[in-house]
Amino acid sequence: MLPNRSRTSVLVFLLPPLLLYCAAVLFPILQSLFLSFFSWNGISEMEFVGLENYVRMLTADDIFWRSFFNALLYLAICLVLQLGGALLVASLLTSLRRGRELIKTLYLLPAVISTVAIAFLFVRIYSIDPVGLLNQLLHWVGLGSLERAWLSDVNTVLAAVSAPEGWRFTGLYMLIIYAALIAVPKELEEAAVLDGASKWTLFTKIRFPYIRPVWITTTIMATTYGLRGFDIPYLMTNGGPGQSSELLTTYMYKTAFTSTDFGYASTISVFIVIECLVAVGLILFMLKRKADS
Amino acid sequence: MITQTAPSTPRASAPSSPVPQRRRRKPSLYRTLSRVLIMLIVIVQVYPLAWLFLTSLRTEHDFATGDPFALPSSLTWENYARAFETGDLGRNILNSFIVTMGANILIVLFGMMAAYAIQVLGFRLSRFVRALFLVGIIVPVQIALVPLFIDYSAVNLLDTYQSMIIPLAGFALPMSIYLFSSFFEYIPRETYEAASLDGAGPYRIFGLITLPLSLNTVVTVVLVNSIFIWNDFIFANTFVLSEDLKTIPLGLQNYIGAMGKVDWTATFAAVCVTITPLLLVFLVLNKAMIQGLESGANKG
Repeated sequence: MLPNRSRTSVLVFLLPPLLLYCAAVLFPILQSLFLSFFSWNGISEMEFVGLENYVRMLTADDIFWRSFFNALLYLAICLVLQLGGALLVASLLTSLRRGRELIKTLYLLPAVISTVAIAFLFVRIYSIDPVGLLNQLLHWVGLGSLERAWLSDVNTVLAAVSAPEGWRFTGLYMLIIYAALIAVPKELEEAAVLDGASKWTLFTKIRFPYIRPVWITTTIMATTYGLRGFDIPYLMTNGGPGQSSELLTTYMYKTAFTSTDFGYASTISVFIVIECLVAVGLILFMLKRKADS
Repeated sequence: MITQTAPSTPRASAPSSPVPQRRRRKPSLYRTLSRVLIMLIVIVQVYPLAWLFLTSLRTEHDFATGDPFALPSSLTWENYARAFETGDLGRNILNSFIVTMGANILIVLFGMMAAYAIQVLGFRLSRFVRALFLVGIIVPVQIALVPLFIDYSAVNLLDTYQSMIIPLAGFALPMSIYLFSSFFEYIPRETYEAASLDGAGPYRIFGLITLPLSLNTVVTVVLVNSIFIWNDFIFANTFVLSEDLKTIPLGLQNYIGAMGKVDWTATFAAVCVTITPLLLVFLVLNKAMIQGLESGANKG
């Protein structure tokens, strides 16, 4: 603590940021919680309904559950692409001699592009008429039978809207994991190699345990970002066809701003917050326990 | 080098030293494989973007009929002319710039101030306040949409620059505070104590010591946040209605015409124009940005 500080100086530095944060983040969270007990369309009188919204959401709303499971699958695909891809490329990159900086830059490139541009791009990649990149590629490698309109097929649409999100951010996580990997002490690795450890043992016994704290951070980042995924599904399919690519976030958005059911939309957002907190808790619990055992 | 020498080493001639031989042979195969794999992955990452640019130079006829992988049969800048006719790209870029600057100023200044209060000045509830800020890293931004929409319409802030800047800055603040406080930890206590003995108060110390020392962290925070703010879609889409205030992501949506008919080549030209500013900044400053991203997560 600074010797000459006064109570006023602490307040001068702390209050402006705290006010902004309360106005933009904390107060809206509380407000959502409050609104979730009401039925309100934004114009008429607010009506207190107690837990009715929650009961409706959990027991009577098929679209809610559909979106919930869609969101989980969306999250799973994003995590595999982002973390799996990131770990793979980061490990491979450590064995390269030259061009590491160039590859890092190229790999991060998609993260700079806006989601609207990405949505446009992938609509064309998946398209069938005129034939898009993906269908053309399948045709060339002899898998022509798989050609389809990926975004109108209820079986593929969810995977098709998840992939761009995974593609977009994998570079970000790769950078973080790469930085952790090159920080693994060389002596540790060399000692293991001298003991005859294979590449795989080296990875599972030395490298991965060493980067575990960073791995936990990246998993949490990727999970919370995956759970708030919205832009790409909303822009590419708007949840359709039917509800095949509806996520909780897009469902909440439509409930709020298309059906103007502010109360029920707030109930769904409260659920999304709880879902994020539970997910982070679970990750910490599982990865910490593994580290202890 | 190793790739060439390793196969020529006769296997049987060195039975006494199997370990170094294995070490030399294996990595070369491994290295070749990993090089090929990395090239493939990088192509998947980058090719779509190159394709986007090529398509923006195609003629409409070429785009509608040709093989998507083929090089354009003839190059044309016409799509760019149409892109500028359809939308107000200049206006969109200016708006994105205003929002990004506004939010960044708040994020840097407030982030630094809060970190200074928590980390350097210290006070009784500092742990609690820090935890309060951490909540913002986990909570998804969508939670704020309905409440802010209601609050904004109550105080007439809907459809203004502020309506985008406030939540963008608010949700980015926790990460900024986190980065600044982990940097402030590295400034030695003695520096502050010496300044205090010379009679400098907390404000002078902030202005003369903390602020100038943090310039690197400022660059990191600004670069990382700019990516997200420049491309923000959800807040702009929810709070902004008038054409005059539309940022780039909203402006691009104008290219979807009535009945979903899209002039694709012009749209891709518009996309290329709008990603150029950020792309240039990124390519020039990518070292700083990459370093920032790496250190940010690895300090935790």
